[in-house]
This record gives sequence, C-alpha cells and structure tokens, in this order.
Amino acid sequence: MAGEYRSVFDIIGPVMVGPSSSHTAGAVAIGRAARHLIGGLPDEAIIDYYESFAKTHKGHGTDYAIVSGLLGFAPDDGRVPNAVSIARDQGVHIEFRECPGPSPIDHPNTAVLNMRRGQRQMSIFGCSIGGGTVEIRRIQMNGYDLKPGGMLPLLLVEEPSGRPDSGQDDPVAQLAGAGDNLRRSSSYQSADGGSIMHVYDLDKPLSELVLQKIRRAAPQMIYIN
Amino acid sequence: MFTSVKELVGMAQSQGLPISEVMIRQEMDRYQESREQVWQRMSENLDAMDRAVEKGSRGKGVFSPTGLTGGEAALLRDYRKDHVSLSGDTMLEAVQAAMATNEVNASMGVICATPTAGSSGTLPGVLAALKRRIDLSRDGQIRFLFTAGAFGLVTANNAMIAGATGGCQAEVGSASAMGAAAAVEAAGGDPATCAEAFAIAMSNLLGLVCDPVAGLVELPCVKRNAIGAGNALIAADIALSGGSNKIPADEVIEAMRKVGRQLPASLRETGEGGLAGTPTGQRFRKTIFGR
Repeated sequence: MAGEYRSVFDIIGPVMVGPSSSHTAGAVAIGRAARHLIGGLPDEAIIDYYESFAKTHKGHGTDYAIVSGLLGFAPDDGRVPNAVSIARDQGVHIEFRECPGPSPIDHPNTAVLNMRRGQRQMSIFGCSIGGGTVEIRRIQMNGYDLKPGGMLPLLLVEEPSGRPDSGQDDPVAQLAGAGDNLRRSSSYQSADGGSIMHVYDLDKPLSELVLQKIRRAAPQMIYIN
Repeated sequence: MFTSVKELVGMAQSQGLPISEVMIRQEMDRYQESREQVWQRMSENLDAMDRAVEKGSRGKGVFSPTGLTGGEAALLRDYRKDHVSLSGDTMLEAVQAAMATNEVNASMGVICATPTAGSSGTLPGVLAALKRRIDLSRDGQIRFLFTAGAFGLVTANNAMIAGATGGCQAEVGSASAMGAAAAVEAAGGDPATCAEAFAIAMSNLLGLVCDPVAGLVELPCVKRNAIGAGNALIAADIALSGGSNKIPADEVIEAMRKVGRQLPASLRETGEGGLAGTPTGQRFRKTIFGR
C-alpha cells in the first residue's frame, strides 16, 4: 500500500486550528515529535523547509504550527497562532529557512528541525503525508544517523556496544512488542563505535504501564509519539 | 484490516453489517478500546464540525486575516431566505455548511479535518443536507462519519489525501467520494451501493488540481468544498437509483493515484500554477507577501 494510515481518526480528525492539515496540524505533530526527541523546549531551533513547505509555509501557518509542537500545544489549542512569539518570549532562538532543491527524505511536505537544548544537539527530518498524519524518516543525534520506518510511535534505546545483540531476547523489545505492537526494529552503531542505538517502530501507542517498565529497563530511552 | 473497497464491501456483506459497523469493530479491535470510547471520540469530532458550521454561518460570518475569503456562507444564508434558489434549498444548505466550515478554516478557527483541513467542509455540507432531507439522527450522523472514514482509509492507503502529493482530487475528491458513500448508507443503501456512489463521486473529480492563490487555503478551496458536497449528494442519488459507475471503486482510486503522480508540482499546492498563476492570483500574492 502507498500509505500507512491505520485509524479512522487519521481520516476523520484531527480537530485543529486551520488552515491546512498537512501544513498546520501535521507541522504541529512534527514539532511535538521534535520536542519528545530533545526532551522539552529547545533553546534554539533552526527549521529548514523543502518543496511545498518551502513555497507555502507563510500562508499555511506552518511556522506557528511547528513551534506549537515544540511548546507542547495540541493542534486545537487557541494559542497555536501566537506560538512563535510565545516561544521567543521564552528566550528560544528560532529561524526559518526556505531550502532550494528536493526534500532530503523524498516528500514534498518536509521540515527538518535542527535543535539545541543545553549541550544536546539533534536534527529530526519529518514529512506531513496528509490529514495531519506525519512520518519521521531520519534522525541525527549523538553521532548516529537513524532511519526509522516513518510512522509514529517510535522508541529509541541506546546501549554500550560490546554487549551481545540480544534481538528477541532483549527485554525492551519484548516490552515494546507487548500485544504484537512491534512493527520493526533496527540497530545502528554510533560514529565512534562506542555504543549502539536500537530503533523500534511501533504499531500503536504504548500504555503508561509499559512505558514505566521500559524506562526502568532503559532509563535513557526516548519515546516519540 | 481491509485494504480495498472490494474487501471492505465483502466484509460487510459476509457479516451482514453496514460499513460503519465494520469500521467501528476494526477500530475497537485494533486499539483495544471499548465501543463507548470509539463512539465518544467520533461524537466529539462531530461536535467540532457543528461548531464550525454554526460559527461560519452566524451574523456576517468569519473572515480570513488576508481578506481573500469570508462572509459568503452568511450571504448564502440570507439569499436562501428571500430567493427561490436555482439548485434547491437542500443543496444550498449543504453548500452553506461547507463554505462556512472552510471560511472558519481560512480564518484560522477550529475545524475537524475530513480527511484534510482544506477539504474540511465537504462532509459537514453533506451532513447538513441529510439532516434536513432525511432527518438523520445524531447517532446516524456519527455512523455517517465512520462509513466515510472507512472509505477514506482505503483511499489514503492506496492513493493519497494531500494536495501536495495528489492535487485537490486527493482532498476534495476524496472527501466528496467518502461523503457520497456515507450518504448512501445513511439513506438505507447497501454496502455495494455505497461503493458505487464512492466511485461515481471520485470519477467526477479526477484531475482536480490544487492551485491555492498565494499558497493560502482560501481561493479556490472554500468553494471547492461546496462542489465536493454537491457532487457527493448527486453521486449518492445516482447510485441509490440503481446507477452504476461501471469502473469499480478500487480502479478509480488507482486512477486517482496515477493522475496525482502525473500532475506537475505547479498544480500540487505550491501556489504557482492554475488560478494561483493568473495575473490576479499573482497580484494577490504580491499584495499579501510582498513578492
């Protein structure tokens, strides 16, 4: 199939501030994924737009929508249209850049968020595939270049290399797969070879109980929903 | 999970269920949610739709920050009061609700995307007509949305629903076809007739380009939704009368996907071609964005 829409509420919904589900609600979702990745509101966010996003972001409210996601707002929050000034008032440095050329992740609605929060720097490559549904196709962080399957939720777990690749015996994978939830897992070695990042593509959101268990087994895990 | 219209209709027929019920049960099963939870979420979406229709139809209506669109749903409301309309009052009620919703969307108010924000007026438009014409109950309206969603899932997964990937045929075209199918079920038609209405409605809007003036979801988006709602009602009536599209729904979806891929980027939500490329369209862009 061309797409991976799963829920009827991906089609009927979301309830959102206009004007565009791809450029506004989808952009909120990309911003929210970025917030989950870096663990809160970044100190700095440089946002690169490609193709349709680069051409129409101003008219579609993409700027305030992305920043709404970074602030943790829901797509129907009344503060959404004022998000950029709200974030700047909180001291966040924000820049928007219209990039020429094709999307680095092969989709006309692409935004790349390059973020810094304290000492941490990360980039997240998101595309808005329509109706407010998004895919995260690439993440650059801590010397890794991760290429998840795309659909959310995603679970990232880092561990020192040298430990045997435990695959299905991995307790985190087992927990994430609770109820046949695990779609795909892949592992990446860091640039210096010192550690390994496991990326788990999930079918549906994890329950709070399962999340707590995973957090106990792997305190550094990152859950992107 | 159903992956085609043929499978969806087959599942409904073999279980003796309406399409809406197949969709509700799949959603419950997939997300381990109770019927009440799934029903409640859809009910909230319907509330959001009703609020947008009401907001856009009240007083002088709502206006976008650019001034390009707004107030025309209210004009229609007044026109309906003191004129004999050419297309009939049920049709105009649908058109008014569709335009009201998209005017709220363009004004950056709250809407429910169905399947997208740019096409968010089409289903509320069809619903407005059904409420008036066949006195569709609140439960019937919620079921309507599940049926529409089932057809939308197939469309989204086999073709596309974003203007940037497939043009407006993927947005208003999909919404109109979803609305046609759901209107048939609401009017008592069987699952196969829903699929015919879907195929007729989508066939009518194949090739529809996405050419928003100045890149804004305003011109021609607001009135495109009026066409989507009207087309859905017409297609539903043709199917209910026994008319057939001859080309099956799944093949129409595949044709839509191929047409979407063949559309040049200038006609896929870049604000460059079509109406956006006209001298007046370009002038609006310069006035609004200064370039």
